[in-house]
Amino acid sequence: MKRRDFVRSVGRTVGLSVGAGILGFRPTVRPSVSPSLLIPMDDSQTDHLKAYGLTYKAIQNGLKAEWLLNYRGGSFLIPDLDALRRDAALNGIRTEPVDSAMTAVRGEIEANNMDAVPLEKAPKVAVYAPPNAAPWDDAVTMALQYAGIPFTKIWDAEVMNGSLKDFDWLHLHHEDFTGQYSKFFLIYSGMSWLAEMVQRNSDMARRLGFQNVPELKKAVARSIRGYVENGGFLFAMCTATETIDLALAAHSVDIAATFADGTPLDPDADAKLDWSQAFAFTGAHIETNPLVASFSDIDGHQVNGGARRQPLGAYKLFNFSAKIDPVPTMLVQNHRQVIPDFYGLTTSFTRNRLKPGVTILAEEEGAPWVKYTHGDLGKGTWTFFGGHDPEDPQHQIGDPPTDLSLHPHSPGYRLILNNVLFPAAKKRELKT
Amino acid sequence: MSLRSKSAAVAAIVLLAAADPGRVARAQAIGPGFELERSGRYADAASVYFTTVRSDPTNIPALLGLERTLFVLNRMPELLPLVQNARARQPDSHTLRSLELRVYAALNEPDSLEAIARRWAASVPQSEAPYREWGLALADRRMWDEARRAFLTGRRTLGSDGTLAIELAELEQRVGNWEASATEWGRAVTRSPDALANAASQLADALALMHDRIGRALMAPGASPRARRLGAEVLLAWGQPTEAWAALEPTLVAADSDAPGALRRFADLAGALTTPEGHRVRGLALARWADMMAGSPGAGRARAAAVRELLDGGDKVAARRVLEANSDSNGVAQAALIQLLIADSQLDLAAERLAAPSTAITADDRAALRLALARAQIARGDLNRAAAALADDSSVAAIAQRGWIELYRGNLKNAMEAFRVAGPYATDRAAATDRTAMMAMLQRIQDETSPELGAALLTLARGDSVQGITALRRAAAKLPEQGGRLEVLLLAGQVAAQKGGDQEPTAIALFDEIVRIAGEGAAPPAAELDWARLLVRNGRPAEAIPHLEHLILTDPNSAFVPEARRVLERAKGAIPKS
Repeated sequence: MKRRDFVRSVGRTVGLSVGAGILGFRPTVRPSVSPSLLIPMDDSQTDHLKAYGLTYKAIQNGLKAEWLLNYRGGSFLIPDLDALRRDAALNGIRTEPVDSAMTAVRGEIEANNMDAVPLEKAPKVAVYAPPNAAPWDDAVTMALQYAGIPFTKIWDAEVMNGSLKDFDWLHLHHEDFTGQYSKFFLIYSGMSWLAEMVQRNSDMARRLGFQNVPELKKAVARSIRGYVENGGFLFAMCTATETIDLALAAHSVDIAATFADGTPLDPDADAKLDWSQAFAFTGAHIETNPLVASFSDIDGHQVNGGARRQPLGAYKLFNFSAKIDPVPTMLVQNHRQVIPDFYGLTTSFTRNRLKPGVTILAEEEGAPWVKYTHGDLGKGTWTFFGGHDPEDPQHQIGDPPTDLSLHPHSPGYRLILNNVLFPAAKKRELKT
Repeated sequence: MSLRSKSAAVAAIVLLAAADPGRVARAQAIGPGFELERSGRYADAASVYFTTVRSDPTNIPALLGLERTLFVLNRMPELLPLVQNARARQPDSHTLRSLELRVYAALNEPDSLEAIARRWAASVPQSEAPYREWGLALADRRMWDEARRAFLTGRRTLGSDGTLAIELAELEQRVGNWEASATEWGRAVTRSPDALANAASQLADALALMHDRIGRALMAPGASPRARRLGAEVLLAWGQPTEAWAALEPTLVAADSDAPGALRRFADLAGALTTPEGHRVRGLALARWADMMAGSPGAGRARAAAVRELLDGGDKVAARRVLEANSDSNGVAQAALIQLLIADSQLDLAAERLAAPSTAITADDRAALRLALARAQIARGDLNRAAAALADDSSVAAIAQRGWIELYRGNLKNAMEAFRVAGPYATDRAAATDRTAMMAMLQRIQDETSPELGAALLTLARGDSVQGITALRRAAAKLPEQGGRLEVLLLAGQVAAQKGGDQEPTAIALFDEIVRIAGEGAAPPAAELDWARLLVRNGRPAEAIPHLEHLILTDPNSAFVPEARRVLERAKGAIPKS
C-alpha cells in the first residue's frame, strides 16, 4: 500500500479514535468477533523475530491482523486458525488464545498510551544488493530470511529500469552511493572480493551508459528518491544512509576520489553540495582523504577515522503517543527501551547535521549523535538506522554471518522488522 | 617518576631550550597542525605546516605534514619548491631526497623523477636507497612497469643478484605476478635469511591455482638451499607437509650453520597442522633436529616429542626407529616405547615392560599407559586381561573403564554403578558424554544382566559396526518395547547412520520403526531428529522438513525440540551457513 492510500484510509478512522478517547464513545478499532491469537511481544515471547514472520504470513494470506501498539511490547493479534497455530508451534512462537479476554485488553488499550492498528496488506519487499556475495552480512536480509518474510533482490539495472514501482518497501544496506567502494579501494587493494566488486560495478556503469561508477550511483540514488516521493517506503542502514544523501547532494559536483572516477574530487565540494535534494542531512563536510574509510562528518562514531573514532554506548528509544503519532510508535515497538549500540561504517548521525523536521526515534543520551531517524518525503517515508549488525557490534569484514536462531529476542533486529511491517499498517493521519 | 628524575628532566628541558630556544618553539608551533589534521581540517593543518616551514625550511615533520595534507587537498605543486629548497640545504638527508622523489611522483612527472633519482644515486654510488625510493614512489602511484624498471636499474648498476629483491618481490605480488614474486623472494632469502619469515608469510597468501608455479620457481635446478627451504615452508603453509618435507630434507645434507634453525622453524610450523600427515612430518623434523643437536639439553625432549608426533601421524616404523636408536633410561622415552608397543598390538610385551619395576616412568604416565593397555585388550576382545591391566588402580578413570568392562560382560547393574561412581568428570568430555548416553539407555532396561547386549556393545567397541548393528537388533528384540528396546534400536540406528553408505537404509528402517512404535521415553523424538539430520546430510532437506515438523508438533515438550527447530531452519535455508 502506498503512503497516500495509507494516509487517506487512516484519516477516516482517526477522528473516531481520538474522539473516543475524550468521549468514551467507542474503541479505535472494532473488536474482533472471531476467536483470536494474541502474540505477546514482551519478555514472555519465545521468538520475537519469528513473530513478525507469522503476522506477515497472516496478512499475506488475506487475513486481518492488528498491531497492538505499546501493549505488552507491541503485541500482534491474528485470527485463531489451525494453520497459524501450527506455524506458531513449529517456529517456537508463543501465542495466547484470546476471546472474551479481548474486551478487557481493548479497554486497557483505550485507557492508556496504546492503540490497535489494523494490518491489512503484506508489503512487497525489495532489497537493493549486488548479485554476488559480499564478505559482510546484511542484517535486513538475514532478518527477513529468519522471519520467513519473502523479498526480491534488486540492483542498479532494476532500479534504472523503473522496477521500483513494483515494490512497497525498499531496503538499502552497506552500499556506497558515492561510488567509492566504501573507500576500501586502497585499504583492501589486492583482495579478490574487492576486485570483483570493482569489476561488477564498472561493468554495470558501462552497460547502463554511465562514464563511471560514481555517476551511476548518483543516478540510482535519484531514482530511489523519486520512488520515495511517489509513495515508497525506504529503510536504510549502515553506509547507505549517509552515502545516499551525499550522492543526492552532490548531483553536480565531484565528491569521488581519483581512484573511483579517474579525476580528483572538487576542492570546493563542501560548498557546492545541494542539501535540498537529501533525505535527512544538511551542511555536512566531505572526508577528502582517500585513505580514510569515512565519508563525511555525518557519522558520529567514525569507526575508521583513527583518533576520531568514538566508543560504543547504548541508545534509547523514544516514547511517542500511540494514538496521535502511530507511525513513529510502530517503528519503536520493542520489549527493551535501551539497546547496546553497534558499529557500522556509518554508525550514527550527528545531531547538528540533521535537517529540521526529522523525527528522532532513538538516541544516545548525552551524546552528540542519534541512532535512528525517520521522515517524510513527498508521498513516501524514509527511515535511517545507523550501524551494520545489531548482534555483532564490532562486525569485521570476513566475519561469519550472524546466526539469528541464537538471537531470537534481539531488540535491535526487532527495530528492523518493525519497519517491514509498518507499511502493512492501515495508517491514520497524524493529529499534530 | 621520582623527584630527582623530575628535576633532571626539567633541567634537561631547560638546557635544551637554552641551547636552541627556536627549535623548541617551532616544535610547539607545529603541534596544532597535527591536531587539525587528525580532526580532518586539512587546509587549516597545511597553513600551520606552511608557517613552520617558512621559519624552518628543513623542518621534516612539517614537510611530511604538507605531503599528507596537500595530497588530500590536490595542491601538491605548492610543495615542490619547498622540498627542493630543503634538499638544497641538506643534500645528504635521505628523508628529504625520498620526499622529493615522492612529490615528483605525485605530480606525475616520471622523467624529472628519474633524473632526480639518478643524481642522488650518483652522489651515493654504493647505496640502494635512491633506486628503492625511486621505485617505491612509482609503485605508490600504481605505475608498476616504471617501478620495476627503477628497481632493475638499481640491480644492474650495483651488480648483485639479490639487490632490491624484497622490493621487486612485493611489487610483483601487488600486480599478481606470483611466480616472479617467488623468484625474487628466493633471491631475497638467499641474500638475507632474515627475510625468510616475511617471504613465507607473503607467498602463503597466493591463490591455489598459482601454487605449482610458485613451487617450481623456488625449487628450480640451481636454486639455493635457502630458497628451497622457503619453498618447503610455503608448502607447509599450503597444507602439503609431505611435499614440504621432501623439499626440505635434501637441503639438510650439507651441514650449513642455518640448517638447525631452519629445521626447528619447520618443525614449529608443522605443529600448526592437525592432520596425521602434519604430525608425521613434524615428528621427522624433530627427530632430525635432535640428531643434529645431539648432546644439547633440548635434544632428549625433542626426540620424545618426535616419537609422539610420529605415533600421532601413524608412522610406527619411524617412531620405533627413533626409540631404538636412542635406548636410554629416560622415562619419557620408555613411556613412548610402551605406547608404541600398544599401538602396534604387542600387548604382552607392553604389559611386561609396564609391570617391570622402573622409577623412570612417572606415575601419571604409568596410569595413562594402563588405561591404554586396557582399551587395547578390550579392542582385542580379552576382557579378563583388560581388567588385569587396570590392576588395583582406584582412579576415577580406571573405575569408568571397569564400568565398560562390566557392561561388555553384560553386567548392566554393575556397569551403571561404576559409571555413577566415576562421575561426570572422569577423563575427557567426549568419554564422559559417552558414559552419560549409555547410562540414559541402561536406565530404561529393567534387567540387571543382558549378555546379548554386552556382546553387541563389545562388538561395536571392537570396531565391527555392521555386526554390532545386527547384534544390537538381536539384543533389542529380547527387551520389552517400553523397557529399553527402542533405546537399543536407536543406538543401532545411530551407528548405522554414522557409518553411512549401504548402512543408511538400515538406519532409516530403524528410525522409522522407533517413530512408528512411539510411546514414552526420549527415543522416538531422538530417532526422528536423527532421521531428519541424515536426510539433510544427504542433500534431501525437503524430505527432512516433515519429520522435523512432526517431531515439534507431536512432542512439543521434548528436549529435542530446540535442536529440531534449528535443523528445520537450516533445512529451510532460513539461517546462513557459518
